[in-house]
Amino acid sequence: MKSMFNILIVLSVVLSSTSGYAQIKNTKTETVKIFGNCEMCQTAIENAGNIKNTAGVNWNKDTQMAELTYDFKKTNRDEILKRIALSGYDNDEYLAPDNAYAQLAECCQYERLKKELVMAIAQPKSKMEMPESKTEMEVPSSENHMDMAMPESKLQMDMPSNENRTDMAISNMVEPNPLNAVFDNYFATKDALVKSNPAAASAKSTELLTALKALKIESLKAEEQTAVTKIMPSLMDTSKSISETKDIVKQREKFKVLSINMHEIIGFYNSKETLYYQYCPMQDANWLSKDKAIKNPYYGSQMLSCGSNVETIDNKN
Amino acid sequence: MKKIILGFIFIGTLSLHAQNIVRYDLFVRDTIVNFSGEEKRAIAVNGQIPMPTLTFTEGDIAEIYIHNELEEETSLHWHGLFLPNKEDGVPYLTQMPIPPHTVHKYTFPIIQHGTHWYHSHFGLQEQIGMYGSMILNKRPDDKTFRKGIDDLPTIPIVLSEWTDIKPENVHRMLHNASDWFAIKKGTTQSYAEAIKTGHFKTKLRNEWKRMLAMDVSDVYYDKFLINGKSENEDTSLKGLKAGDKVRLRISNGGASSYFWLTYAGGMITVVANDGNDVEPVEVDRMLIAVSETYDVVVTIPADNTAFEFLVTPEDRTKSASIYLGDGIKQLTSPLPKLKYFEGMEMMNGMMKMNGDLDEMGMNMSMQQMDMNVVMYPEITGPADNGKDKKREMDTEEHSDHKMEQMDGMDGMKMDGAMYKSNELSDITTLNYAMLKSPTVTTLPDDAPVKELHFTLTGNMNRYVWSLDNKVISESDKILIKKGEIVRITMFNNSMMRHPMHLHGHDFRLLNGQGQYAPLKNVVDIMPMETDVIEFEANVEGDWFFHCHILYHMMSGMGRVFSYENQEPNPLIPNPALALRKLKGEDRDFHWMAENDFATNGNDGQLMAQSTRWSFGTEWRLGYNDMHGYETETHIGRYIDKMQWLMPFVGFDWRYRKLGHDEVEENLFGQKNTKDRRSVFSAGVNYTLPMLIMAQAEIYTDGNVRLQFERNDIPITQRLRMGLMWNTDKEYMGGLRYIATRNLGITTHYDSDMGIGFGAMLNY
Repeated sequence: MKSMFNILIVLSVVLSSTSGYAQIKNTKTETVKIFGNCEMCQTAIENAGNIKNTAGVNWNKDTQMAELTYDFKKTNRDEILKRIALSGYDNDEYLAPDNAYAQLAECCQYERLKKELVMAIAQPKSKMEMPESKTEMEVPSSENHMDMAMPESKLQMDMPSNENRTDMAISNMVEPNPLNAVFDNYFATKDALVKSNPAAASAKSTELLTALKALKIESLKAEEQTAVTKIMPSLMDTSKSISETKDIVKQREKFKVLSINMHEIIGFYNSKETLYYQYCPMQDANWLSKDKAIKNPYYGSQMLSCGSNVETIDNKN
Repeated sequence: MKKIILGFIFIGTLSLHAQNIVRYDLFVRDTIVNFSGEEKRAIAVNGQIPMPTLTFTEGDIAEIYIHNELEEETSLHWHGLFLPNKEDGVPYLTQMPIPPHTVHKYTFPIIQHGTHWYHSHFGLQEQIGMYGSMILNKRPDDKTFRKGIDDLPTIPIVLSEWTDIKPENVHRMLHNASDWFAIKKGTTQSYAEAIKTGHFKTKLRNEWKRMLAMDVSDVYYDKFLINGKSENEDTSLKGLKAGDKVRLRISNGGASSYFWLTYAGGMITVVANDGNDVEPVEVDRMLIAVSETYDVVVTIPADNTAFEFLVTPEDRTKSASIYLGDGIKQLTSPLPKLKYFEGMEMMNGMMKMNGDLDEMGMNMSMQQMDMNVVMYPEITGPADNGKDKKREMDTEEHSDHKMEQMDGMDGMKMDGAMYKSNELSDITTLNYAMLKSPTVTTLPDDAPVKELHFTLTGNMNRYVWSLDNKVISESDKILIKKGEIVRITMFNNSMMRHPMHLHGHDFRLLNGQGQYAPLKNVVDIMPMETDVIEFEANVEGDWFFHCHILYHMMSGMGRVFSYENQEPNPLIPNPALALRKLKGEDRDFHWMAENDFATNGNDGQLMAQSTRWSFGTEWRLGYNDMHGYETETHIGRYIDKMQWLMPFVGFDWRYRKLGHDEVEENLFGQKNTKDRRSVFSAGVNYTLPMLIMAQAEIYTDGNVRLQFERNDIPITQRLRMGLMWNTDKEYMGGLRYIATRNLGITTHYDSDMGIGFGAMLNY
């Protein structure tokens, strides 16, 4: 009996000493980016990544870089990084599930740069190709609203102002479509002319010019690009002319051309309201309006209600 | 001249209608795989696991040549396909198995479309690689062609699992109620764990009701696989962009695993099930039963990101992923661990003392009421540790309600609402009631109806699974007539769910959708559920109807539907032999052996058991004549439904040399000598509450012995205790620490041999 105990003691000593010296074999070392903030993150990241005798993670909170050391016969970089992502930390390979991120301690809620980057790339592209995918596009950016439960719970429901956006549909998407600014300023210029206010008309026209310059043609759909490119020089020219003068007669002359050009691309403007293409027989000129009632920009108060609707434009959808 | 023209027209029409013959050659070979770090035998077809995806278009003629290059027989079944009976691939039923080193040709016209799969129906080959996708495309001019669904890019997906243990051994271990799988999964549910989590009473009550630790699946798997890999980057579809939709054609080729499907990119739209279109329905997640197929559509929400489609087995031990899209991988949350003690509590409530499940007046069907929700932290909140009140998300009301119910456990009236997953949380889980066919599926009104009723029965302890408490070998083929409607009502009185699969036909699942009841060929029935299916008997032959959990099927859970007055099957030249072989499958004996090499002697037993029979020998061998040698052999048959009662005949032999002829007296005042004894006996075993085995035995010398024994009391995850006492004033107490699958460290005290330490080897 005694000898058996002795053997046991020897055995346990041997076993414990070997385990103490056991290290990762077949090592491979790599450096990767893992997002995080503080020392708490460091503990969490390293605990998630470490597996005794298989993988070791050494994360530096200043550089946000981690050194992975692992036994390449037993595991690989992806397995380690996936575990780390599942504990809430975005990295080179994986984005953390939204609720894993949400469950991090407040000090650990690092800024999710990676994701923003994805969205920045994703937005303009998807805008021109798959506008109807808008709601789904919201998914990655919604993590901040997902402070509860599972990510597969209806994401769309948690999103703020979702309904409004759905209504806007086609071309004006997540951020206002550049064409919106163009039309908004056109209507503002028109309203100034209706009120016979040349200063305001000039100011609004300047803004219109700015909006035109800011318009990124390449962010439009193919058909829009063609149409807009065609009328662009004329739009620039007329709006510039209106902005440079305080003479309302000259402004109104130029506004005739501007209105015809704007009408060319009205099909691409997706307004919430019905629009009207109106005609002034006295001037043989047209204009666009959001108002069904005639408010003639070519005469102002003199002949405000002169004119007629020639086309009703319904782009709501 | 006229004749020639006619001839031309004839040829013309012929070629118009000539069908496209699509040929596949499948070479079945042994192979060595390494899924888990260990090299193991598997079977590959054309060098791959899963087997290659077979693609056809409705109207094609399939010609599939099986080149069997194994050293064993095989046979392939085309799951969900309508075909002539002799092409169905069930060995000994529709054909004789394909002998080694021969070629067999399957050929049949493709008369349907949809996502199906194929697998070996021979032995346990399905577990080690013989499964693959079978995609039947619609013709482009098909009236049911759905724009935006049927023209999407598709990825065929086969789900499966891998175990390093040979499937024959898995099967044997299941029959011996080995708890090795539970240890590997961490689901022993021992007394120590129960006490720690405040569930001691639950555990006691559970054993009082003669239940072993409950689990949602039987086998521990080393890996779960999507198209043969755990981590899968989809390479078939390049350049997926934001907004693109992808159709996944998913078949569950797992031998015994149900899988949860979740997606990092949002909702999953279900568009077809078991190869039949359904009205699109959006869900957050869904469970695919063994052998079911689902077609789902998912959207890629952003560019430069790959979204994880996560496949988690029901026991949630591991998972497999496929990433859809290009770029950095957006993960979805893993499913949280199951709350087993909550499940145990639920089982306690359902189980009557006689082992039947209590329906409690709930009309459960169509997976709508899922008793397992009590185990899902994402639905019913995180595990409650005895005293701590449950912290529930938005289900406060329900949880309070539930707590009350659970507190007054026995004799309580269960409320169905507490199991309706979709009402308990904002997570939408697919259930059968949500499936609706886009077309009317009603069967002819004037056809005669044959009504059948089955109760799904089973016994976890002995791993016997049956219909109406009869296995395949104990039942006759069920005769049906061509042209009649067969309507089957099934009630699941067992503690496991069963995916019941019908060969050669689709059935209507009567799920409340009226004329638009969905067509399926697999119906998953949860414990306590009652489901009704009906189908038109329209193809002659012998058709298998069975539980598709491989180990349940091999245990005999099934029936054969046989058409009356059918033509003999040319592939079954000797029907009597074939029938004997078919029935032989569940008649196998499962061996078990163990021996404890202890300091005070050897203790061991050898057992061979089948569905009803049990042959067992126990021995106690000392190291010299003074210690003595002793064996007891029992041959018994379980006769009751729950398999608690086993009358037996036996033989005892004992030899010991003590020098003085010591005579022992038992509790009843009967005397016998311990030194030399050789007697026959008859007796009965009965399992008492707390899983105590009571044994009454009468020997040919007139002696009577009563013995109570309880083995394998789970103290901790790996520590087991055994206790025994009998009227010969013998007693024993022992502890066993399970070190590996085949090795235990033991200590026991025995009234004959005193204290001992040892190592137990078991098989």
